[in-house]
Amino acid sequence: MTGLTSVPEEPRPTEAPRPADTYLLEARALSYRYGDHVALDSLDLRVAPGEIYCLLGPNGAGKTTTINLFLGFLEPASGSAWVAGRDVATAPLETKQYLAYIPEQVMLYRNLTGLENLEYFAALAGKSSIGRAGLREILQDAGLQPDAVDRRVSGYSKGMRQKVGIAIAMAKEATTLLLDEPTSGLDPKASNEFSELLGRMRERGVAVLMATHDLFRAKQTGTRVGIMRRGRLVAERETAELAHADLERVYLEHMGSDGGTI
Amino acid sequence: MILRTARKELTDTVRDGRFRWAALLVGALLLVALGAGWMHVQEARAQHETARATAREHWDSQGEKNPHSAAHYGIYAFKPRLPLSFVDQGVDPYTGTSVWLEAHRQNDFVLRAAQDASAVQRFASITAAGVLQQLIPLLIILLSFGALAFEREQGTLRQILALGVPRKHLAWGKALGTAGALALLLVPAAALGAAAVVGAGGGASGATLGRAAILTLAYFGYFSVWVALSLAVSAKASSARTALVVLLAVWSVNGLVAPRVAVDLSKSLYPTPSAFEFAHTVEREMANGVDDIRPPDREAITARLLEEHGVERVDDLPVNPSGITLQESEEFGNRIYDRNYEALWDAFERQSRVHDALAVLAPGLAVRALSMGLAGTDVEQHRHFASAAEDYRRDLMRAMNMDLALNSRAGETYLADDELWESQPPFDYEAPSLAWVLGNRRLSALVLLFWVVGAAAAAAFGVRRMEVG
Amino acid sequence: MRFRHHVRHEWRLLRADRLLTATLGLFAVLFLYALLNGSAWVRFQEDTLGALAEARDERDARTRAELRRIASGGQPSSPFRDPRAPNVLGSQRNSRPAALPPGPLATLAIGQSDLLPFYYDVSIYTNDQTFLQNGEVENPLHLLVGRFDLAFVLVYLLPLLVLALSYNVLSGERERGTLPMTLAQPVSARSTLGVKLVFRVIVVLFLALGVSVVGGLATGVRDVGRLALWSTIVTSYAIFWLGLATWVNSRGRSSAWNATVLVGAWLLLVVVFPAAVNVAAGLLHPLPSRVEMITVQREASNEAVNRRSELLARYLEDHPEMSGAVVSEASSSAALAWAATEEVNRRLGEVVERYQGRLEEQRRLIGTYRYASPALLAHDALLETAGTGDGRFSRFEAQVRGFAQELKDFFVPAILAGDRMTEAVVADIPSFRYREAGFQTVVGRIVPALAALLAMTLLVSVPGWRAMRDVRGTS
Repeated sequence: MTGLTSVPEEPRPTEAPRPADTYLLEARALSYRYGDHVALDSLDLRVAPGEIYCLLGPNGAGKTTTINLFLGFLEPASGSAWVAGRDVATAPLETKQYLAYIPEQVMLYRNLTGLENLEYFAALAGKSSIGRAGLREILQDAGLQPDAVDRRVSGYSKGMRQKVGIAIAMAKEATTLLLDEPTSGLDPKASNEFSELLGRMRERGVAVLMATHDLFRAKQTGTRVGIMRRGRLVAERETAELAHADLERVYLEHMGSDGGTI
Repeated sequence: MILRTARKELTDTVRDGRFRWAALLVGALLLVALGAGWMHVQEARAQHETARATAREHWDSQGEKNPHSAAHYGIYAFKPRLPLSFVDQGVDPYTGTSVWLEAHRQNDFVLRAAQDASAVQRFASITAAGVLQQLIPLLIILLSFGALAFEREQGTLRQILALGVPRKHLAWGKALGTAGALALLLVPAAALGAAAVVGAGGGASGATLGRAAILTLAYFGYFSVWVALSLAVSAKASSARTALVVLLAVWSVNGLVAPRVAVDLSKSLYPTPSAFEFAHTVEREMANGVDDIRPPDREAITARLLEEHGVERVDDLPVNPSGITLQESEEFGNRIYDRNYEALWDAFERQSRVHDALAVLAPGLAVRALSMGLAGTDVEQHRHFASAAEDYRRDLMRAMNMDLALNSRAGETYLADDELWESQPPFDYEAPSLAWVLGNRRLSALVLLFWVVGAAAAAAFGVRRMEVG
Repeated sequence: MRFRHHVRHEWRLLRADRLLTATLGLFAVLFLYALLNGSAWVRFQEDTLGALAEARDERDARTRAELRRIASGGQPSSPFRDPRAPNVLGSQRNSRPAALPPGPLATLAIGQSDLLPFYYDVSIYTNDQTFLQNGEVENPLHLLVGRFDLAFVLVYLLPLLVLALSYNVLSGERERGTLPMTLAQPVSARSTLGVKLVFRVIVVLFLALGVSVVGGLATGVRDVGRLALWSTIVTSYAIFWLGLATWVNSRGRSSAWNATVLVGAWLLLVVVFPAAVNVAAGLLHPLPSRVEMITVQREASNEAVNRRSELLARYLEDHPEMSGAVVSEASSSAALAWAATEEVNRRLGEVVERYQGRLEEQRRLIGTYRYASPALLAHDALLETAGTGDGRFSRFEAQVRGFAQELKDFFVPAILAGDRMTEAVVADIPSFRYREAGFQTVVGRIVPALAALLAMTLLVSVPGWRAMRDVRGTS
């Protein structure tokens, strides 16, 4: 199976308006400032179940800030971030029950095994009843080799740690995934596996918001892409509407003369 | 190249706020400790001088008295302070400062300053020596734990070595940079110390200057050990943090754990009797004698004297048998005291040797011994003074007894006058020579030298084998 | 998330960290070693006191036998040592030992007990000079260094263990990148960190209190109240350091920065401040020198000897209750000698009182300096609780003075009246028994220190705890 065929050929969710609580992620005029610098300027964004929304843009465009705002790691200057119909600002702990976060580097306790890490994070998420056998199964579902499960994380590759990250999301039964540059630095095979995993999550109705530089991966995996520049969402497209070359063209168009690197 | 590195290190260090604060603190403590020590010693010297003069005056103006009464009256001796004791008061607060020299008894030194001080003071009784032995090494660690480890972490080490700087030069530069920063602190302190020594009480004797010079050298060696050790650890440690942890562990073993462990170890290797046991033994031996040391028998002495002088009646003797008997009983007592005190002092000295030998594991023990020795405040020099005082007591008692024996006859009431008291030489104590002190501290000097060489070798080895990162 | 999951997780992390487990193991060894040391020292003191009591019994038996022999017509072995004379029976030769048993928790803290005398031979000639005597025979070098007891390990080294466990409690999570992973879960930062801190307190206290309590009980400690007090002090002290670590962590800097700052704080509070306090105390409140006391005492005794009969007359004037026992001719020399002794004591007493007054004042001032450092506070409180601090020794000295007075009250009327002692009297001679301070007295002495320690703990931990609320997944 190749990465290209792994993307399911089913109809994309339509743009038809839905009731607010049917969006798993929603930003309403969301803004953030670092001092005088406007990092995020009145962002409006919605991600529905079964959608993989890819945020594209150069460094400093506001992708990570958006994710941090959804996580409640930052407080918005104005506007609001909503998760599963709840405002992050008023229900910071509750909204996190729906969220799973996979940063560029999934950092785990190096001296503990993959299983022990999962056990801890699952317990933090209130899923302490799963039991070791169940957790082991989840890790394997997430694609971790059975023999790696009981090894210390210090020996894991980046891809393996990411699988533990996915396993945490699965164990937690998160309905929303926030991914920050998940495929950068992965070798093509691992990157491909990761896309497949995301596809499976999507099939279960999970909503995914993924910040990335990788246009190819965005086109292949995403259902929708948003292009950000200087804290603003400057374009939004259904990937199904675009050929790969079109995406690159659209992206570069929006970057303007000051470009910014991909 | 070495100098350039050193200069860069020095500038870097002096501009570092942490160093400034630490150096300021340590420097202030050092100066205050030196000043306080100096004032304390000056005051103590003046007091002891007065007390000594008064004690002598009491002795001289006893009026008409039987010499044996005068012997019972006795005289007090006060331990003098050597000029350098302001740097390191050593065991002085724990030895007592005064001893009563009287007939029949070898008394203990009393008036230990530490007994008057509270536990709060004992918790951290620090003198200039404490700053030099504990805090300066800490400053050195703070200055140089990152010398190489930080450069490696930042990647600058790679760059420097890529420029073709020999590792050895880099290491020397770092060491000299640290030394330079320390010198900013220590040279003024040493100058002030020297001024205090020279300025105190009409200039310093050659012996004092000699002691001071070697003291300086010993501390210089000790600090070099820490600089080299810090470099070695910084070169080999996997990170600056590890270097710091390792060096701090070494520091606390050196200054906190090792000295106390040495106490326990030396006590268990060379146990000393309890005070009760000691007193009890002396009392018993004084009453009954021991081995071939027998208490004198007045009858036998009289008989012997009669025979020696070829007379029949005690009244015809040209000497007073009481005086002779007193002197013999004094000598008997002396032998008992010698037996017991020598054993005790020897045990103390053997215990000290254990501390000295353990310096192989903690250089602080070596420099402490040298420092106390040169300042004249170690146990050995206390013993030296104690035996001088005891010798004086014995001479004085003999003089009293012999005056009684020669100038009076059996049964008569004999009173001597001020002339006798005044004719007794004063107790002028002469501190042991530098050679004597160094003879005692041979082992410590050797161990310190071992540390200097060993730490330098470790630094050289560490730098040669250092990972570049 | 339940507490036990956290504890299991923290325990796993701890166990997996070789450096930390080695450190914990090392501390366990140090604790045990300190405890063995302390109990050896207590055994030594008990043996000494046993020998002392034995010697007294022997001496009493000899005196009784001698008195019996004389009563049945024998001659005293020496005219100077006739035990029928009250000034002989009450003299140093037949002294009564006054012993201070090792403190209730002496195995845990050697404290001042290696330096200060824990027994005196008391007689009617006991005076202020008696209290100038040295303590146990000990190499002065050892007195200088101090001993390796539990109090030392707890005050000097325990903070290092606390800091090693907690210097990166927050910064480490941030640097390893696990903080965002954790805070992406539905848990608050403060509760997670709180659990981590509580876990560390438990580990440290399990070790420190376990050794103190179990070790103490095993080595013969019977005073549970004091043991509880000891544990309270240790707990407060450990929490102070943990609070400090919390505060430093809350500044949001790197682990290396935290480590440097915390080690610096340890040095300041444990080494530098106490040293500075000491230097300042020496400068501002120098202890008066005892050397001049010797001079005064000599002068007093010279004078007293010269004015014996005059002194007796004055003594009887001062003590009208004694004048009934009008001095017989035969005993007048003993009475005269006693009057001279009293005069010397009185003169000496005046000097000593002046001196003691100044000494107490200086000590009191220096005592207030202990509030400069939690280490000084904790150390002092531990020693007082253990019964090896200055407090118990001065209490002992005061009781010995009282006992010496009792002996005088027993013998002096007989001396003045020229009475002869018999065998029956020996059993009636007062004997000394140390009266331990009540638990409430000890608590009273320690409460200010404990309160100060608690205040310091709050001072460092409240801002830290507050700041922890704002901890977020990003830097």
